[in-house]
Amino acid sequence: MPIQLTSQAYCKMLLHAAKYPHCAVNGLLVAEKTKEKKKDSHSVLCVDCVPLFHGTLALAPMLEVALTLIDTWCKENNYVIVGYYQANERTKDSRPNQVAEKVAARICENFIEAAIVMVDSGRLTVSCFEPIVHIYDHHENKWKSRDVTPESFEDWNEAQKITSALLEGRSYENLIDFDNHLDDLRNDWTNPVINKSVLDLC
Amino acid sequence: MASVSDLYDVGWEEMRDKLRKWREDNSRNSEQIVDVGEELIGEHSSKLGDDIWIIYEQVMIAALDCSRDDLALTCLQELKKQFPDSHRVKRLSGMRLEALERYEEANKYYDSILQDDPTNTAARKRKISILKAQGKSTEAIRELNEYLEQFVGDQEAWHELSELYINEHDYGKAAFCLEELMMTNPHNHLYCEQYAEVKYTQGGLENLELSRKYFAQALRLNNRNMRALFGLYMSASHIAASPKVSAKVKKDNIKYAAWATTQINRAYKLAGRGSKENKCSRKAVEEMLESMQITMS
Repeated sequence: MPIQLTSQAYCKMLLHAAKYPHCAVNGLLVAEKTKEKKKDSHSVLCVDCVPLFHGTLALAPMLEVALTLIDTWCKENNYVIVGYYQANERTKDSRPNQVAEKVAARICENFIEAAIVMVDSGRLTVSCFEPIVHIYDHHENKWKSRDVTPESFEDWNEAQKITSALLEGRSYENLIDFDNHLDDLRNDWTNPVINKSVLDLC
Repeated sequence: MASVSDLYDVGWEEMRDKLRKWREDNSRNSEQIVDVGEELIGEHSSKLGDDIWIIYEQVMIAALDCSRDDLALTCLQELKKQFPDSHRVKRLSGMRLEALERYEEANKYYDSILQDDPTNTAARKRKISILKAQGKSTEAIRELNEYLEQFVGDQEAWHELSELYINEHDYGKAAFCLEELMMTNPHNHLYCEQYAEVKYTQGGLENLELSRKYFAQALRLNNRNMRALFGLYMSASHIAASPKVSAKVKKDNIKYAAWATTQINRAYKLAGRGSKENKCSRKAVEEMLESMQITMS
């Protein structure tokens, strides 16, 4: 089943990329755990994302800590990790690299239909007039890109409006990723402040 | 839009001092630098004295980061007027061309600097940055290696090279670069901790043990380094869980991991004092540490 993004998930990914425009950034996408497969559901709804790192993405220890910790957090909140997002350091390159594929493979162990979302930071603008993500699904051992349409979002107009407003208001200055948390444990990677701003704008 | 001095209730001296601090820390908070610097230059330039030239340079580079070519040009023109034949200013002109992705022209500027002065390290490093921006990692690595043969003491270059190697997943060579940095900076806990992370990523029992030792060393140098603490916990746990180790090694590593667990829990407790939200993080950490203990035994 293909993934769908809520406004909260989409805008936090873009805020993360906007906070560190000169770095690669990555993070995890989570969805609510459903007890049984709803018969009429055509997609998996990513309700939130957890920004992980900026800068060097290719080192293992902190990634393992983050995956285990966030997995535990997910269990407490009835979420499941369903995807991985990344924005590359070079704006001209928006294809998934080895790091993306490795982390996604790890996520696939727990959730078979995990997706990779690549943020095309070269097209990041304050107005957000078009979606700037590429979504990749795993087919026959390869990651294939899928067309992104407004249907890839729970509500594209809302996502566009909220993301644009938060980018303009420079909310990305307050976005916390796991790296920020490791620098100072008081930094909360669940981003309650930004989540509230999103809710207020809905 | 409200001015910086109004928004934050600061005077021009504080703004000037803030810019100096950011220069010394080499922070890349370009939007803030542009906000503060633009106002300082616009309204208080006469009070800044000779400081203004280095501020023009700092603001110009930050303006390039923010696509503020108008501001960058203004600063550049002032610097060109004051220092007409300067290589340092020429390098800034080159950087502006880089920002506009006119790499061929930028390279010409840097080449002309190097013809005049073959020891100009700044121009050489900019040429390597262009290779990096164009995605030519192999060439960038090769040029940086050649550069370091001549300028062995350039720490920024060693660090850049280690990052380039990490991105190419060549962890052995990245480790070598970090070893150079640790030798010349034995008290720097960040290099120790990064070295440990690279060794851990390389994998294998020997590298794991080495990584644990260097995480421990980083902690000795700075006992508040959370990455080192988590790293010590992870490496010790993995060693203890390995079927290839002797009973004594397993027992020792379980002890190290247990010590790390107490320290981690304590750190979270201290951080969570008085804040409701952080309790979720702390609980998740406790549970994570418990669940890993089960896999260890």
